[in-house]
Parts: sequence; C-alpha cells; structure tokens
Amino acid sequence: MTRVRIRRLLLSALAVVIAALWAFPVYWMVSSSLIPTAVLNSFIPTFFPARPTGSNYAGALADGSFFRALGMSLAITLTVVVACLLFAFLAALAISRFRFRGRTSFVVAVLVVQMLPAEGLFIAQYKMVSSVGLLDSVIGPSVIYTAAVVPFTIWMLRGFVAGIPADLEEAAMVDGLSRFGAFMRITFPLLAPGLVASGVYAFLQAWNEFTVALVLLPSEANQTLPLWLRGFVQASATRETDWGQVMAASTLVAVPVIVFFLIVQGRLTSGLVAGAVKG
Amino acid sequence: MTMKKIGAVAAATAALLVLAGCSTPAPEDAGGTDITLWLMGGDTPDALRDYLKTEYADATGGTLTIEEQSWGDALSKLTTALPDAENTPDVVEIGNTWSPTFTTVGAFTDISDMYDELGGDSLLPSFVEIGEVDGANYALPYYFGSRYMFYRKDIWSAAGKEVPTTLAEFNETAASLKTATQSGFYIGGQDWRNGISWIFANGGELAVKDGDQWVSTLSDPNTIEGLTQLQSLFQSASLAPVTEYDSTPWVNINNNEATGAPEAATIIAPGWAHWSIGDLAPDPNDDTKQVATWNDEVFGTFVLPGVDGGVAPVFAGGSNIAISAASKNQAAAKELMKIIFSEEYQTMLGENGLGPANLDYADSLGDDQFAVALRESAAGSKLTPAAPGWAAVEGSGLLEEFFGKVNEGGDIPALAAEYDEKITALLNG
Amino acid sequence: MSSSVTLRRSRTPYLLLLPAVAILLLGMGYPLVWQIVTSLHEYGLAQQFGQPAPFVGLENFITLATDGALWVVVARSLAFCVITAAVTLVVGTLLALLMTAVTRTARLILQVALLLAWSMPVVAAMTVWIWLFDWRRGVINYVLDMIPGVELYRFQWLASPITFFLVASIIVVWMSVPFVSFSVYAGLTQVSEEVMEAAQLDGANGWQRFWSIILPLVRPVIAIVLLLQLIWDLRVFTQITMLQDAGSKASDYDLLGTYIYKLGTSAQDFGMASAVSILVLAITIALSWFYIRSLLKEDQQ
Repeated sequence: MTRVRIRRLLLSALAVVIAALWAFPVYWMVSSSLIPTAVLNSFIPTFFPARPTGSNYAGALADGSFFRALGMSLAITLTVVVACLLFAFLAALAISRFRFRGRTSFVVAVLVVQMLPAEGLFIAQYKMVSSVGLLDSVIGPSVIYTAAVVPFTIWMLRGFVAGIPADLEEAAMVDGLSRFGAFMRITFPLLAPGLVASGVYAFLQAWNEFTVALVLLPSEANQTLPLWLRGFVQASATRETDWGQVMAASTLVAVPVIVFFLIVQGRLTSGLVAGAVKG
Repeated sequence: MTMKKIGAVAAATAALLVLAGCSTPAPEDAGGTDITLWLMGGDTPDALRDYLKTEYADATGGTLTIEEQSWGDALSKLTTALPDAENTPDVVEIGNTWSPTFTTVGAFTDISDMYDELGGDSLLPSFVEIGEVDGANYALPYYFGSRYMFYRKDIWSAAGKEVPTTLAEFNETAASLKTATQSGFYIGGQDWRNGISWIFANGGELAVKDGDQWVSTLSDPNTIEGLTQLQSLFQSASLAPVTEYDSTPWVNINNNEATGAPEAATIIAPGWAHWSIGDLAPDPNDDTKQVATWNDEVFGTFVLPGVDGGVAPVFAGGSNIAISAASKNQAAAKELMKIIFSEEYQTMLGENGLGPANLDYADSLGDDQFAVALRESAAGSKLTPAAPGWAAVEGSGLLEEFFGKVNEGGDIPALAAEYDEKITALLNG
Repeated sequence: MSSSVTLRRSRTPYLLLLPAVAILLLGMGYPLVWQIVTSLHEYGLAQQFGQPAPFVGLENFITLATDGALWVVVARSLAFCVITAAVTLVVGTLLALLMTAVTRTARLILQVALLLAWSMPVVAAMTVWIWLFDWRRGVINYVLDMIPGVELYRFQWLASPITFFLVASIIVVWMSVPFVSFSVYAGLTQVSEEVMEAAQLDGANGWQRFWSIILPLVRPVIAIVLLLQLIWDLRVFTQITMLQDAGSKASDYDLLGTYIYKLGTSAQDFGMASAVSILVLAITIALSWFYIRSLLKEDQQ
C-alpha cells in the first residue's frame, strides 16, 4: 500500500515538472510582455517581472488596430464555428443513420479533401472570392475556412451521432413529442460534448489561419489577428525587434483563445471521451 | 401619354443619367476619385504619408488611402491584386529590383508622357532604367538609400587603425579587429545584398544579357575574385551566423548592457540606421525604453573603398513607384504621381534621410556626415540585373543559399557553376 | 434499422448532406479544379496578368519527376513527418498514462498546462519559440549552457539543417501532444477498473498490462490520432516558414509546404506549384491508405 502511494506521489511530482516545462513558453511570453524592452535586450534573461510595466501593452495597443483585428477575427471565427457545426452535424446524421448510394464515396472524399496542401491554392481562392466581390469581407475567408474544417468535424461528429441510439428518440416520440422535439430534448444534449470538441477544432483553425487571409483581406482595416501580429513582428524587425511589445502583442492574440478553452474545458474532455469510445 | 409627360420623363431620365455619371466619373476625370497607394514597409515616415493624403484631397477632392505592405508578404499580394481591376491598388511602391518582373508582364501603366513633367533626366538614372521596357517608362524611382559603413572609432584607434582607402586594406583591418567576442566586421553569411559589393568592386556581375537572353555570371573570373575576398572576409572578420541574411546590424555596434562592449567594430547599414546608433541611455520620457545618442568621439562613418581606392559600388537600395495598369482611376493616379514628384515632397524625403528620386533636390539631405556618406556611396552604387525573372530569383532564396554556402567555406568555382545553372533557368521569366 | 428511418431513406440523407457538399464544392471544389487545370499548363506571372496559358500536358509532372531536388524534399518531409508524428504519439500516450496514475491535483495541473500549449495561436507560439531559441538572447542557450559539460554559448540552432529540423520538430510536438494526450486519456478512462484489476491479479506487470490489455482497447483512438498527425505533419507550413524567416531561406531547410510556397508565390511558377500540390495529395493518400482501406471494408460489412 505504501509502495503504491510513494509511486503515486513520485509520478505526481513528475507530472508537475512536465506541466511546468510544457507551460514554460506561455509563461515566458506573458512574463516578458511585462518587462521593459531595455531590460529584455540584455544578454542575461530576466525570469520574473520584478517591476512589471504596462508600457509594452500600451505600445502594442497604441494605434487601435488591435481591436479592429480582434473584431474581424471574432466575426470570421464565430461564423466558421456555427456554419461548420451545423453543416457537419447534418452530414454526420446522414452518414451514421442512413445507408444510401454514394455514402462510401462521400466518406472517402471527405477524408481526402483535407489532405490537399493549401499553399498552392491562393490564386484560385482569390479569383473566386474577388469575382463575387467578397474581398475584404467576413464571408470570403469564412467560406474557405468552413470548407477546410468541415471534413474533419463531420468525421468527429459521426462517432457521436452513431453512439446515440435512434430508439431513444422513438421512445420519446411515442410519449407524444414531435420528431423535432424529441431531437432537441434527447439527442442534442447527448451530442453537446461532441459539438464542443469539434467546435474547438474549428475555432482553432479559423483563429490561426493567415496565408489565405493575407490575400483575401488585402486592406489593413480588415486584418485578422494573426495578420496583425505578423505585421507587428515584421514592422518591428525592420528596425530593432522590440521583444517586449512583440510578446505583449502575442499575449493579446493568445488570451481570447485561452479564455475560450478554459470555458469549454470540462465539456472538451468529456467530448473527447465520447469520441474516443466510438473511434 | 401626352407630350408633356414624355418630356418630363425624358428630363428625369437625363437627370438620372447625369447623377449616374457623377457617381462613376469618366476615366479621365480625377475629380473626387478615391484611390489607394501601397507603400512597402515602414520607411515612409508618417509626416510624409499625411502630406500625401492632404495634398491629394486638396488637388482632387478625393480620399487617398495608404496601405502598408510588409516586404515578406508583398509578392503574393501584388500577384493577386495587381491584375484584378476591381481591387487593384492604384499606385504601388515596389522594391527597385522587382521592377523588371512586373513591368515585363504589363502590370504597370506606360507613363512616358509624364516623364518630363515628373522630373525627366533629373531622376536617378539607374532606377529609371530598371523601370523601362523598350524605352518606355513604366516605373520611376521613389527613393534610394545605399549603404555605407559605421565603425567604432574607439576600437579602431585603440588598435592603431586608420579609415581604409582600398578594399584590401578594409578587409585586412576588419580581420585584425576580430576577437572571440567581437566581429571586426559584422556581416551575415547569407547577406547577399551587402555581399555583392565585393563582386561589383572587383568588376564582377551577377548576370548579363547575352543577345536576348539573360545569363547568370557567377562563374565569371571577376565575380569569383569578389566571392573569394568575401569568403575570406566572412571567415576572418565576422561572428555572424552563416545563415543570417537580413540582420539589424546596428544592435551590434552599440555597447551591450551586459558586457559594456559592442558585438562588432564595424557594420554596413542603410543611412537611416544612424538614428539607432550611439550611446544608450534611458529615454527621459519613458524610462522603460532606451534612446541612442550619436557620439562623434565613439562612432564614425566611411564609404566602402574600391579595389584601387575611390568608392566601391554598393547595392543601390530603394524603391520604384508605378501606376497599376488595371486601375480604373488612371487620371487620379497620375495626380498622385505629380504630388509625389513635386519639389516639396522630394525635399521632405531628403529631410527624412531618404535619397530623393529627383537628384535636383538631393541637397535636402543636408550636409552632415550621413548625407555626405549617402551621396558618396550612392554615386557609385549599382543595381541588380534588370532581368524579367529577377524577382523570382530573389524570391526563390537561391542567392541567400549560394552566398551562405560560399561563406561557409565551400568550393567557389563549383558552387558558382551549380548556381549559374539554377539562376539562369529563372532569369528570363 | 428502425422502420421510420428506412422509410425516409430515399431522399433525406441527400438533403442532410446538401449544405456540407455545397460548402465543400464552393470552398474546395473550384480551387481544386483550378489546381488540376493549372498543373497541365505553363502558368507564370505573365499568365496571371492575362496572357494565354499554353497547354503542356504532363510536362510539369515530368520535369518534377526528373528533378532530384524535389525528391530530396519529399524524402526529408516524409522523414520529418514520420518521426514527428511518432514522437508526438509516444509522448502523448505516455502523458495520458501518467494522467491515470497521479493525484487529482497533479492531473489538473498537467491538463491545464497542456491546454495552455494547445490554445496558443500558431503565430504567437512561433514568435515565442523563435525568441526562446535565439542564438544570443535565447533563454534555451542560456539555461543549457549553465549545465556543466554542455557548451552551448551562442549556439546557432537555426544555422544547420539538422538542428533546424530538431527545433521544428520540438515545436510541432509541443503543439500537437495536447490533442493526442487528451484523446488517449479519454480512451483510457473507458477501460474499466475491473479489467485493470483482473489483469493485475493475473500477475501481469505494467508493460504486459499496457501491451496486451490497454493498447488493444485504445487502438481505435490511436489509429485515428496517428493518421491525423501524419496528415498534419506532412503539410506543416506555418511553423517552417516562420522558422525560415528567423533562420535560413536556403532549400536545405525546405519541407513540401514551403517548397510549394516558394515555387508559387516567390518564383511565380504556378503550374509547377500546382503539380507539386497534386503530388503531395497523392503521397498523403498513399500514407493513409491503410486507414482508408479499413474504412471501406468496415463500410461494406
């Protein structure tokens, strides 16, 4: 018994050490963002902001472009998450509840489509979006991102939908609920963790993308956050890189995602659990 | 329908047509047209941008939007937006060496008719030339900024060294000043934009036009001689990484706080770097920042000397400017060009340390040592080949790769032959 | 299958698929077709500015196939992808096993740390990592150099391909492990206590237990996670291009993603870039063939 307990404690200590290592880059970003650049430029690293300053944040936020980019990123990301979950859920329903001609081809096509490298596609994507006058709009990148993310979300949701017995809905219908009512009361709650897990994936993809956004959102006024951060780093590099401000800018870009993750965290793990059972 | 009614309808229709005409003005009318200007990087100071916007509004009643493009991502944006009439920027700044690539595919408007009005033969000739196709002007100079040397007088004089008068003397001095922690001359191994000065100084070329085809000439004996000097200089004088290609070298010539000494005794940098070079002290307005104050006792400048003295031809840095051929606002774009090439704007460029396109206004650079060094180095400066595929050569990273391998200590003739083949394949577009 | 579902089977599934298919056709269909068409033409900057694109048939593909440089990049990408995906999988699985063996608090701390790494936007994460590995001001050189016997003062991580890709691999593993860990941990929590206890009573040691009981149970999770890692690591782009910005642009530092990007965006040979993209698609399908086949089989049953 004691041997087991000692083992457990040793492993726990190991887990905490690994956690510290894993979180270090995030810590380093936040810590450095609070240290004046003059101090950061020294060859001796500063591990703790003994005299924290907000000046890096003030510098990064000075021209207000951050908030414009934040708005753009939020609009695109939310559009993608909502569209993607809806479309993927319907498709997952089709392939897990029905047998029909073309089902297998669809499943394979969905898997293959996400293997196409995106780096060579920007001219075609630009031409398409520009020809319908949607450059510099939320819709342009949203369509491209949704198409890129939908295959994997269909994939994830398929397992969940298959895991929910159709009998449950039928039983509810016998009890007098409409088909829609049965779905909303019975199926949807069971699906929630799956939707969260797929939503997180869609969120991350849409939030991080920048090569497509670069050509589809040519105006500075319509930049997304990754473009804003990239521009910030590159502008800084033509003079002397202002690491303090760059770290502050990085932190600003990361915070909304971290907050989002912490909110959905509980659901996320249970979502992966359910997904895992079905493989 | 009575005649009266018909008349009323006709009048209304005419009025509508007139209104419609106003909202989409005829192409030759610049009145009230909103246009967009793409500027590269942050080199154009805010004061100059504001000036352009105000002047443009005064001249045409329209709004000028300025979008800043980063050098790294500009090519993909230019490639997609320039051919797209609905979304093209109307006027664009481009890296001078990219001009041939875009002019030869017809990306820009022929502005030969404005050439004299915009400054004519007073415009920096080498930049005008690289923007020409068959004698017609498509892209004109925007500003120039050739590079010169900054050195630590304290370190040089402590070692008993004088400002060199020949390239060989410079190479030797730089090597003698290298220590375990300090470069005699700090240059990145892949930094070809500075490295080509040694090729040019020895009479070498990167590529020449043979008949109607461009050919890479790295294997030319003069080029090889320059590369050999550069290789030994890099190995004997520089501590920079062999993979560094675009550094901010002035951080190396200022004293480092931790060691109280600089990382380098000499650097090569664009003129405006002098704002960042000097004795470091906390910024009086914001003690979390530092400011550099130039100190003539410690820092000095000189122009890279040629093989037989005089001035070595350094890379002529800078930009060209052109009107997008796909733009629907040609007249308005031309109005903006007139403002850019006006005496007032050209003078403002010079006052901000950017070499003005029109050499008549070069005096605006002032006559301090930085202006003198800029003018002297510019006088001998040289551009990269005006080959249609040059932007592809730069974009492909082949030059960085080649210079890195040379400076690593590679076999120069073998490498030159290998990269001649690769580069020639891209040069003709 | 229940009767109500059977009755509706004629049209309902197609209606349900409609939105997903529409968005896929819109967002991927046109670019994909454009890419296939372009790969059969000579398409450079002049064509982008309106000149006719000559049809060249399979010439782009033939040029590629006979170009030694491409195959070097393909081999390097495959090696990078397989090694990185394997390390990610092993580390992720080990961390998942660790989560099952530690106290609640320790597990929570580890999970939050992984969640932080997972949620870092790629551009922000790369900016931080590049600074951590900076040859002069990087904290990694500073800390490692303090270890006696380790000489890493001003070591230039990005100045040779081996260490460059080591750094790239470390970063990609750091970013990908959280997803693997959470998925495998989720799978492990489904292995019932009784099974584990029964195995222990049988005298099976830790390794045997893992190999013969736990692994088969979480195999479906591991298979899909491995497939996804392989796909993602083969097309890795942002991380490599940002490391190249900080290090070297030379072709020795290219993987397929940056190779295509340089061919297209920088060298403006869009015909060739499209041809390479299609080749990469083919390679990825080949890599994941084991999974696609098992999928097709499962479907036929």
